Amino acid sequence: MGMPSRLRVPPGLGAACVGTIVLAACAHEVLEPAPGPAAAPVVFDLADVPYPTLSTYRFFTGPLDRLEPNEGVLPFAPINTLFTDHALKSRYVWMPEGVQAHYAGDHVPLDFEEGAVLLKNIWYDNVAPDGERRIIETRMMFRRNGAWEFANYIWNPEQTEAHLDMGGGYLPVSWTDAEHGAMSTTYRIPSASECFTCHKVNTDPLPIGPLPRNLNADMVYADGTMNQLDRWVQEGYLAPGLPPGIAATPDWKDITLPLEDRVRGYLDMQCAHCHADQRHCDYRPLRLAYQDTHDPANLGVCVPPDDPIDPAMTYIVAAGDTARSMMHLRLGSTDAAVRMPLLGRTLVHREGLALIDQWINTLGPPCP
Amino acid sequence: MKHHLPLVAALAAALPTAAQNTCATAVPITAGVHTVPNVDGSQVPTPVCAPNGAGATAGEWYSYTPTGAYTVTINTAIGPVTDSRVHVYTGGCGALSCLAGDDDSGPNLSALVSFNVAAGTTYHIAFDNRWSASGFAFSLTEAPLVVPVFSFTPLTLPASSGSSLAAVDMNGDHLDDVVRVTDTQITIGHQQSGGGLVQTVFPTTQADNSPSWSLAAGDLDGNGQNDLLYAGGGATFMLANADATGYTEMSQPEWIFCQRSNYVDINNDGHLDAFICHDVEPNVYYLNDGQGNLTYYQGGLGDTYDGGNYGSIWVDYDNDHDVDLFIAKCRGGNGPANIDQLHRNNGDGTWTEVAALMNLADNQQSWSSAWGDYDNDGDMDVVQGASSFTNGGHKLMRNDGSTFTNVTSASGFDALTGMSIEWITHDFDNDGWLDVLGGGRLMRNNGDMTFSPHTVVPTNGPVGDLNNDGYLDIVNSGTVHLNALTGNNWLKVTLEGTVSNTNGIGARVEILTPTGTQIRDIRSGDGFRYMSTLNAHFGLGSENQVDQVTIYWPSGIVDIVSTPAVNGTVHVIEGLSTGLAATPPQPRLNTYPNPAADLLYLSAESPLRNATATILNASGQPVRRTMLHEPVLDIADIAPGVYVVQVALDGVLLQERFVKR
Repeated sequence: MGMPSRLRVPPGLGAACVGTIVLAACAHEVLEPAPGPAAAPVVFDLADVPYPTLSTYRFFTGPLDRLEPNEGVLPFAPINTLFTDHALKSRYVWMPEGVQAHYAGDHVPLDFEEGAVLLKNIWYDNVAPDGERRIIETRMMFRRNGAWEFANYIWNPEQTEAHLDMGGGYLPVSWTDAEHGAMSTTYRIPSASECFTCHKVNTDPLPIGPLPRNLNADMVYADGTMNQLDRWVQEGYLAPGLPPGIAATPDWKDITLPLEDRVRGYLDMQCAHCHADQRHCDYRPLRLAYQDTHDPANLGVCVPPDDPIDPAMTYIVAAGDTARSMMHLRLGSTDAAVRMPLLGRTLVHREGLALIDQWINTLGPPCP
Repeated sequence: MKHHLPLVAALAAALPTAAQNTCATAVPITAGVHTVPNVDGSQVPTPVCAPNGAGATAGEWYSYTPTGAYTVTINTAIGPVTDSRVHVYTGGCGALSCLAGDDDSGPNLSALVSFNVAAGTTYHIAFDNRWSASGFAFSLTEAPLVVPVFSFTPLTLPASSGSSLAAVDMNGDHLDDVVRVTDTQITIGHQQSGGGLVQTVFPTTQADNSPSWSLAAGDLDGNGQNDLLYAGGGATFMLANADATGYTEMSQPEWIFCQRSNYVDINNDGHLDAFICHDVEPNVYYLNDGQGNLTYYQGGLGDTYDGGNYGSIWVDYDNDHDVDLFIAKCRGGNGPANIDQLHRNNGDGTWTEVAALMNLADNQQSWSSAWGDYDNDGDMDVVQGASSFTNGGHKLMRNDGSTFTNVTSASGFDALTGMSIEWITHDFDNDGWLDVLGGGRLMRNNGDMTFSPHTVVPTNGPVGDLNNDGYLDIVNSGTVHLNALTGNNWLKVTLEGTVSNTNGIGARVEILTPTGTQIRDIRSGDGFRYMSTLNAHFGLGSENQVDQVTIYWPSGIVDIVSTPAVNGTVHVIEGLSTGLAATPPQPRLNTYPNPAADLLYLSAESPLRNATATILNASGQPVRRTMLHEPVLDIADIAPGVYVVQVALDGVLLQERFVKR
C-alpha cells in the first residue's frame, strides 16, 4: 500500500559510528557478524510492552551482552552526543512492519508512527578491577497511543540480563580510557522523572537525538558508508521524498569547522533540551538550539544571568572574559546546584569546557 | 653634587609606583582624580571588603584623612576602564577593618562606592588585582553627609571551606552562629556572649548528599541541639551530639531532586519532621516518631506529577495557629507545574489545596516567596517574587482573610526590574515594618504597603543577628555584612519548647505595643536555599514599650509575657506562663448572646483591640483564630456545640464558655 519494501541489514552487521572526518573520536565499535543460524525476529507487542526483561524483545541476538542488533534493529548516531561522565553509548531504531517516520522539519524530531522504538545502550569499557566492559542500562522510548513512553532496563552485574526498572539508581564505576587515564564516577541511572525532565516539550515526552539535522551525516555500516537519513529511507524507516538541503548540526569535535559553529553544535546537544522554547528551562533567556544560536544574545553573550548564584559572573557569556562568564562557571562545576547540565553528569567535560573557553576568549569587545 | 641629580630624578620617577605598594607606604590623597599605576604592590588588601572574595595577589594603597564629615564616593570609571576592585578600611595599618568596598557597581566592571567619613580620621583605600593588574584612574569626591537608609559593614570570616548556608544558633545559647558546610565538615562561627565569632571546624563522615540545593536547621532528635538537613540528591541529616561538639551523619536512601527543605512538625505530634520540595516529582517528607525513626512519604503535600516545587514556606496564613504550606513553583513550557500552591492545614491531619480559592494560584516563575505581615494588620501577606518575568512579574498580595488581594500596582514591586530566586522578609532597619530582600534590591517598607528600592552591598544569604545588637545581619559566603544602623528600638524573642519542638518551629509570636501589633512565624527554611535565624526579631522604631508578647505554640499552649524591656531578648519557655491562664482571669471576658447563632460579641473591662481570639472546641482543640479588629466573632459556620473563646489581653488569657446554636 505504498510502503517501500524494507531492506534488512544482515544480523550482526550493525555498526554505529558517525562521520568520516573524526573517526578517531568514534566511541562505537564495529561488531563481528554473529555465527550460527538467523535469529528469531524482534518481539514487540504494543499491548504488552514494556516487558520485564530486555532479552524478551530480542532486539539483540546471541549473548545479550554482545549487543548485537537483530534484523531490523538499525544503528544510528547523532552528530553530537550528550556528555554523561564519559559513558559510551550505542543507539538503535526499530519499527514494526509497515511503520515509518516522517520528515517534519530539519530542527524537530522525526515524526514517528505507532510502535517505533528508540534504544540506547550505555556502558563503560576497561572497568576496574578486571578491565571488562560494564553495560549499565539500556534505555528505550517507544511510541504508543500517539505519544512517547519510557522504559529503562538496568543490567545485572553478570551482564546476562537487564531488568525493567524506572526507579533509577547509582553505580560506582572506575575505568581507564586512552584519553583520560584512570577515572571514576558514581554513575546515575535516571529515574522516570529524570528521563522526562530532559526528554519533553511542554508535558509531552519527546526524543532529543533523531532530528534530521543530527542524522544528516555519514555513518559506517557493515556494508559500507552511507548518509544516515538515506539509510533510514532505504531501510523503510523514513518516508522518502526528503527535501533538498537539509541542515547538518556542526560536529563540535571537527576542528576543521569554524570555532563558533563547533560551539553551537556542542551547546545544542548539551543544553538545548532545556534551553529552548517550551522546554524545562525556557524561562531563562538562553536559546541554545542550533537553529537559534546565530543570534549571540541567544548564546548569552553580554546577557546578564537571571540567577546571580555568583555575583562575579556578570554575564552568561562575558565577551573575552571566562572568569566573568556564568557559562564557564556552570560547565566547569560539579556542584549539583551550579553545574550545567543539571542532569546527566557529575564530572566536568574538560574538552567541552576548553572549547567554550576558547570561544569566549575570542569574543569582543568587552560587554558594557 | 651634580653627579647625584640623575639618580634623584630616577628615584623620583619610580616613587609613585613603589610608594603605594603597602599600607605603611600608602600615598596620602585628597578629593580629586588620582592615577593608579599597575596594581603590583606587595601587600594584598586584607580583609576583603568588596564582593567576589579572595584571589588577589597584589594591591595599591592610599590614605585619606578628611577635613570634614562627608559622604565620599570613589569611582574608578575615570578614563580608560579596567576591571578594578576597591577596599576601604578604618583602624590603621595594624588593625585594618572594613568600612566599605566594591567590585562591579560602576560601568564596565569598574568600582563605585560611597561611604561616610568623619573629620580627622584616617582611612585607607586599597585596590587589588582580583581581576586585572592594569592601571586606571579614580576619583574621590566629597559631598555633604547623607545618612544611608540601609548600611552594612563587611566582616571577613576566618578562612574555611564551604558556602555560608546558615545564620542560626547551633549550641543552644540562642545567639545566632554562622554555619558553613562541605561534604566532610561543618564550620561554625559561634557567637560569643561577649561578642565576636569563634570558629570551630567539626569533621564529619563523607556525606551521601551535599547541601547543594538547600540547608535547614532544627532539633530533629530533641536533644536540645540543632541538627542540620542537607538537601541535595537526597536527604542527609547531621545530628548534633548532646553538647554540639560533634555531628553524626544519618543519610536517607531515597533519591530526591531536592530544592527548598524545612524542618517542621507536619503532623503536630511534638516531633520535628523534615519536608523537601521535589523538583521533578511530588514533594516528599520524613515523619519522625520521636524514637529516632524517620519514615519516608511522598504525596499529599504538593502532588504535581512532574514537580516544579522550589520554595516551601510554612506559614500560618489563616491565623488558626497551625502551619500551612505555601509552595513557590516554577517550570518552563506549558503545564501545571509552575502554578503556586497553598496547602491549608485542616488541623486534623488533612490538608486542602486552596491557592486558587485564595487568589494565589499564580503560574509566575518563582523559586521562593516572602511571607510577612507587611501592613501590620495581624495576618501574613506575601510577595510572590519572580525569578523570571516570562510568566509575569513580582506580586504583592495582601491577606484580606477570605482572599488575597493583588496590591502590586504602585507598590514599588511593579517597578522593580531585578529578579531573583531568593525572596525573604525581615525588618532590616528596625522601623517596625517588614522589608523585602529580593530582585537585587532591599525593598524598604514605607509603612503604607509601598516599598522603595535600595541598593545594598550584600546579596541574599542567611540572615541573623551575629553581633547581638538587635539589628539583623546578612551573610554572603565568607563575609558577614553587619548591619551598621542604630537608633531604633527592637525586641527579640527566643523560644524553648517543652511540649512542642525545641525551637518552637511553627509557633506564632505576636507582640502588642501602643502603636499596634506585629506577628512572626518561626520558620526553619525561608527563601530558597538558606537557613536564617530561628529567633523572632521585631523592630519597634521609636516605640519604647511592648505591652505583651504572646506565643502560640504548635502544641496549642499559649504563653504570655507582659511588658518586656525593649532593646533586649525575651526568652520564653513553653508553658512557663500558663499559670497566668490557669488562675481565674480578672477581669472577665463577657460573651453575648449566649447561645449564639451567627455573631458572638465580646467585651471586657479593657478595650479588645489588636488581640487574637481563639475558639476551642469541647476537646480543647482550636477551631478558629482571628485577629480582633472589632470585638465580634463570626461563628456562623461553626458546628453547634459548647465552645470556649480565649483572648490574650494585657498579660492574661481571658476565656469564657459559649454555646453555638
